[in-house]
Amino acid sequence: MAKVKKKRLGFVIDMTPLVDITFLLLTFFMFTAKFKTEAESEQKFVIKRPASTPVDTALMPDKDLAIIKIAIDSATGDTSYYYELINEADRQAVWQRLPNFTPELLSKHQLNVSKEALNDLVLSTRVVRPSTKFAIDADKNLRFKWIAEAMDILRKNRATMFNYVTDKKQ
Amino acid sequence: MAGGGGQLKVERAKRGKASKRKKMKRIGFHLDMTPLVDITFLLLTFFMFATTLAAPQVMEMSIPPEIVKQVEVRESELMQIFIRDDNKLFYAKGSDDPQPIELKDLRALAERENLMPNVRNRLITSLKISDDATYDMVIKVLDELNLAEVKITEEIAKELDENGQPKKRERRFTIAPMLEEDIKKLAEL
Repeated sequence: MAKVKKKRLGFVIDMTPLVDITFLLLTFFMFTAKFKTEAESEQKFVIKRPASTPVDTALMPDKDLAIIKIAIDSATGDTSYYYELINEADRQAVWQRLPNFTPELLSKHQLNVSKEALNDLVLSTRVVRPSTKFAIDADKNLRFKWIAEAMDILRKNRATMFNYVTDKKQ
Repeated sequence: MAGGGGQLKVERAKRGKASKRKKMKRIGFHLDMTPLVDITFLLLTFFMFATTLAAPQVMEMSIPPEIVKQVEVRESELMQIFIRDDNKLFYAKGSDDPQPIELKDLRALAERENLMPNVRNRLITSLKISDDATYDMVIKVLDELNLAEVKITEEIAKELDENGQPKKRERRFTIAPMLEEDIKKLAEL
C-alpha cells in the first residue's frame, strides 16, 4: 500500500462534465459563427452604423446582394464609395464589364469607386441580374449628401427598392 | 496534468503483464481527457472571439422612380417633414409654414396626422432632407416614422371595408429633394 501511495504524485479529476459542456459550447459557437467575407477582410475602414429599432424580419439578405459602402478611410480621413457583390459569379461578370478592366481586378472583392464608376457598376449589376437587391451601408457621421447621391444613382438605374444597413438599437 | 498521463501509461503496461484475474476488478476505465480538453478549449475560445453576435439588420426603403410627369397632390393630404442642415426637425401640413418639432414628438405627430378623419389612410408623408444633415439623424427620423406605422396599421385594421375585411394600411411615403424655397423658409426659423 505504501508503494502505491508514493506513486500517486498527481491526482485525477473527472473531466467528463467539463468536456460535455465545452463540446456543447463549441458546437454552438461553430454553428453560429459567421466569418468575415473576403471583401470585409480587404477593407481598411470601419463603418459606424446608425442604430434602429430591432425588427425580426429585417435581416440582411445573404443572396444576390449588392452593397454600396460609404465610409471614411481610417488612415486618410477621405470619404468614398465602395462597391461589393455577394454573388461570386455575378461579381466576376460585373467586374468584367468595367471600362478599365484588367485580370488583376478580378481578385479584388471590393472596389473603391468614384460616383461615375458607381453608376456604371450599378447599371452592370442590373443588367447581369435584375433581381439583385441593393443595400447602402454608410457611416452615421456622414453628411446626407453622400447617401442622397447614392440613392440618386439607384433611382436612375430603376433600383427603387433598397435597404439601409443599420445596427440594432441597444 | 501531463504527469498524470504518464503515470497512467505505466500502470497500463504493468497490467498487461499481470494475470487476467485483475481485469475483472476493472469495471470502469480511465481515459486521459487532458489533450482533448486542451484542444476543445482552444477551439472554443477561437470561435467565441471570432463570432459577432450582433448581426447587422436592414431598413427597407423605396424611392419613387425618376419623375417624368408631375403628380398632382391635394394640399390637405400632404405632410412634409424637414431635416435642416443643423439636424433640427420641422414639419408642415400642406403649404403651411414649417413648425419646429422634437425627435421624440415625431412618432406621436405621425400617428395623429395619419389617423385624422379627413385624411385617414390617404396622407402623403414627404421627407425633405438637407444635404448637410447627418445620416444618423435621417435614420433616427425614419425609425420613428416606422415605429408610428405599428399603431397606424393597428388602428386602421380595426375598421372594416365593404366586404367585411379589415382595412389595409396604404403607406404613402417618399423622400423628396429639398427645394430652394424650402431652404429659404427653414433658414429664417
